Amino acid sequence: CSSFNKLQKTGTDDQKYKAALQYYEKKDWYHAGLLFEELIPVLKGSTESEMAQFYYAYTQFRQQQYLLSSTLFKKFYETFARSEHAQEAMYMYAYSLYKDAPDYNLDQSNTLTATSALQDFINNYPDSQYRDDATKMILDLRQKLERKAYEKAKLYFKTSGFNIASYKSSVISINNFQRDFPDSQYNEELAFLKVDAEYSLAKNSLETKQKERYQETMNYYQGFIDRYPSSKYLKQAEKMFESSQKEIDRLTKLEKERAKEKQLQKQAPADRPGKVTAARQ
Amino acid sequence: QVRVGAGRPAETQFSADELTNYASPKEYEITGLSVTGTRYLDPNSLVSLAGLKVGDKTRIPGEAVGSSVRKLMDSGLLDNVELFATHTGEGKVSLMFRVQERPRLYRVSFMGIKKGEQDQLKDKTKLNLGKIVTNTIVKNTQMAVRKYFVDKGYLNTKVKITTVPDSARNNATMRVLVDKGQKVKIAKINFEGLDEAEESAVRMKMKGTKEKRFGRIFTPSKFVPKKYEEDKQKLIAYYNKLGYRDAAIERDTLIHNPDNTVSLDIVLNEGKKYYYRNVDFSGNYLYTAAQLRSVLGIQKGDVYNPEDLDKRLNGNPGQDLSSQYMDDGYLYYNATPVEKMIDGDSIDLEIRIYEGKQATINRIILNGNTKTSDHVVMRSIRTLPGQKFNKSLLIRTQRELSTLGYFDPEKIGIQPVPQSDGTVDVEYTVEEKPSDQIELSGGWGGYVGFVGTLGLTFNNFSARNIPHLSAWKPLPAGDGQRVQVRFQANGRQYQVYSLSFTEPWLGGRKPNALSVSASHTVYRSFYDPNNINSYYQPLQGRSPTGSYSNTAFTVGLGRQLKVPDDYFSLTHSLSYQRYDLNNLDLFYIGYKNGISNNFTFNTTIARNSIDNPQFPRSGSSFSLSGSFTPPYSAFKTEKENVSIENRFKFVEYHKWMFDASWFQTVIGKLVLNTRAHMGFLGSYNKRTEIGPFERFVLGGSGLAGQGQFALAQDIIGLRGYDDRSVYTADYNQVPSAAARSQGGVVYNKFVAELRYPVSLNPSATIFALVFAEAGNNWASYKQYSPFDLKRSLGFGARIFMPAFGLIGIDYGYGFDTIPGIKNQPSGQFHFTIGQQIR
Repeated sequence: CSSFNKLQKTGTDDQKYKAALQYYEKKDWYHAGLLFEELIPVLKGSTESEMAQFYYAYTQFRQQQYLLSSTLFKKFYETFARSEHAQEAMYMYAYSLYKDAPDYNLDQSNTLTATSALQDFINNYPDSQYRDDATKMILDLRQKLERKAYEKAKLYFKTSGFNIASYKSSVISINNFQRDFPDSQYNEELAFLKVDAEYSLAKNSLETKQKERYQETMNYYQGFIDRYPSSKYLKQAEKMFESSQKEIDRLTKLEKERAKEKQLQKQAPADRPGKVTAARQ
Repeated sequence: QVRVGAGRPAETQFSADELTNYASPKEYEITGLSVTGTRYLDPNSLVSLAGLKVGDKTRIPGEAVGSSVRKLMDSGLLDNVELFATHTGEGKVSLMFRVQERPRLYRVSFMGIKKGEQDQLKDKTKLNLGKIVTNTIVKNTQMAVRKYFVDKGYLNTKVKITTVPDSARNNATMRVLVDKGQKVKIAKINFEGLDEAEESAVRMKMKGTKEKRFGRIFTPSKFVPKKYEEDKQKLIAYYNKLGYRDAAIERDTLIHNPDNTVSLDIVLNEGKKYYYRNVDFSGNYLYTAAQLRSVLGIQKGDVYNPEDLDKRLNGNPGQDLSSQYMDDGYLYYNATPVEKMIDGDSIDLEIRIYEGKQATINRIILNGNTKTSDHVVMRSIRTLPGQKFNKSLLIRTQRELSTLGYFDPEKIGIQPVPQSDGTVDVEYTVEEKPSDQIELSGGWGGYVGFVGTLGLTFNNFSARNIPHLSAWKPLPAGDGQRVQVRFQANGRQYQVYSLSFTEPWLGGRKPNALSVSASHTVYRSFYDPNNINSYYQPLQGRSPTGSYSNTAFTVGLGRQLKVPDDYFSLTHSLSYQRYDLNNLDLFYIGYKNGISNNFTFNTTIARNSIDNPQFPRSGSSFSLSGSFTPPYSAFKTEKENVSIENRFKFVEYHKWMFDASWFQTVIGKLVLNTRAHMGFLGSYNKRTEIGPFERFVLGGSGLAGQGQFALAQDIIGLRGYDDRSVYTADYNQVPSAAARSQGGVVYNKFVAELRYPVSLNPSATIFALVFAEAGNNWASYKQYSPFDLKRSLGFGARIFMPAFGLIGIDYGYGFDTIPGIKNQPSGQFHFTIGQQIR
């Protein structure tokens, strides 16, 4: 390492460039990176500049500094658009972003940037050898967004014991999910959760709102069995369907009785005397 | 600077027409590319920068050629690029770029000013070395430097800049010569036409523009044009507030006096004072005018005050007119006050209301949580999909998010995004801030001398991610759990180890907080009763004469309540403490050897609506807690005669604590905090004495953990008095030191504190405070007299830094004497570390 220090202090730019290439060959990314970083401003405008920037970006990528490597690769392909390494740089830019994309449960703005970078790459180089990998990565990133939306919808369902209103939120989030990711693997489970959420909401509602919500439960159930006729959640859903039906019948009966009572009350002043006399007869 | 032109020295030239004929661009094959005019740069690499290649087919004029020039300019290396084209055959062209390199800034030297000013100016002018020197940059620098000094009160600053090129290296040195002259002060401010308003009040409103006066220290009297402009606005705003709706500054004159001062002549036109006459509404369908009028609260004959009107319309969440609509989904609501008629000094106001449609929330979008998991943030968000849009809940969410402590409270963004289908998405943007704390302190703890503390608090821990190595950066984080590790010691004599863990949402379904903690304390005495001097002798090589240890475990489960309102929480906990005494008379009551077991059940009900944890401005917190040991004595009918060793085998007591704290903004940024604290310790029946455990100790900074009694007693601060000194003994006796350290069974304390924020920057929140407090601590209920309090006054400051927590210093002056303490210092300093609840 002392030889490295000596080189860094006293070596000429030429020596440093050669040494940097050697370190790079030896996969000593750290030392190569240090030297390239130092050389790039000095080499600006010279013939070696191009490769120095390209290798420097790689040293950072290999050291898992993906955020830095992404900007370096981007700068490279923008500056040297006609270089033979431009395609690789653009791919590596997108790949770095892909590597840097956070877990599904964190802010996804980097995931979106990575997706569009990969898509741009595929559009620019439709025949590239990296095309398949890029496509795979896009799918992978999309799954992250899918998982995020899924967990969010589920979270509302999960925390509804604390706040009844979030059953409704859960239904709305599931509807959004079904629209955004129609072919997702989570759809079966969510379709069931939607039935469950609407059913639980109806159960915990005021009587005036119950009938409408049980009716909605039945609609959701029908949508569920049409799409997943042999689902593992079928039995549970069926129970909810049955008791929704019972509840609706009960509520309809109740409504009828109440309407009758009202009718009676309305008619009462006119009818009562006649009835009373009739009873006495 | 960019020119695409017909070539100068070519054999077969294009006609200018042919090259710039945009109507019919032609395609050419590039047969040659060259760069001329370089002196320091490599022509070949400039060619590669241009993005063209020999053999390319390109249209001229066309995008590729234009962008090649642009790319060269974008490199920042060049001052000028010209492109020349030469015919080299049918459909063939050779391109030549003629470039001119720019001189770069090599050095900036300031003359005539101090070093510190130079450094600040270097930041202000943004002169990076290596930057290309152009006339614009020279001019901008000159203006920036002059403005810097004028804003400091040097009105007559002259700045001269010369650039000295160094032709050998393509560099230039910039020399900035500053003659800032003397500070210009304001000799006199004359007002003309100032009749209706109080002149002193008007002068006070002009905060940054003051007359020169002897003894003016805090508000300088120098003349700063920028501040003067602001002050003129403030002046008018002040008049408007008083009902002078037409007030204006007719003219103002700046007079340069010969003694390097200036005078200001301000001619005011105050106009009339106006009053409200009729307030009408239009466009309101949901509420009647009478309903809206009662919300607005403006009466006929009130002074016309547009600023206040605006507040009543939009400024006061939950109480203003906008909340009436915006809390019920009417997101598009809008109210415009229009002065419909002005008759003499009366104004008829019409408030035009646009109610719009009711919007339902569809999606909640969260951005910026780069460390904290979605579910941790989402569960604190009060606006839910399916609800009607509600502005008050938005504001409540802001409070909840800042209370989490993971995000910069000043940067929480809330953006309702209306959708075309009548729903609205609510977008929350947060910015993570460091939330972990390290405590590294050394302090002088009265009995044991120097005590060092090392504490680590991770406020956003993730126990779930412990097995995942990739999540360790540097610790698994993001699930909102809290882990605290603390170690305190002074060598062999005194050590405390503690560990605690809190999961705020146990199971993830409801906010049921689980907390688990354990601690262990050891204290060894090296004092030899046969040798009085042993206290002062070094400990090395000696064996302890007595020891005390305490081991404690606590498990608690807390939950948020919804009744009476959702600021309430209820916590239950179970704890066990084991005290082990070995030949040490810790409590000075002859209990030297033995083991005490203390099982308690604690229940706490609390309400907390404080708006911001670091610097609260509004809200309050209350907490009432009761701790109970099992009533062992209930199974013994008579008072038994037990040896002292066994008397405290099972500790028995019940203990009640009450704490209340209110925050309110008094005026401007000034916040008043009033607090009341009380504690009561009792026994279940007359047969049982109140033991020495869990008693109250009052006085001083209230910094717990700096003595060996930290875990056996409750330490409460009272500024202006010595640590642990405030005590009223039984039967009006003068208490001994022993009685004092045994502590009291009742304490009361009341505090009033005025706080003023010096900096609200989250990396260092600083505020200054003045306080008045009073409290006392009694040895028995017979003695308890709530109005016999020890009073004190003082002032201090607090600084909160995310990595270190809250650190404070106070100076307190105690007015009352404490029985039994001679030569009590009346004024003293207190240091505090961490948030003090009591």
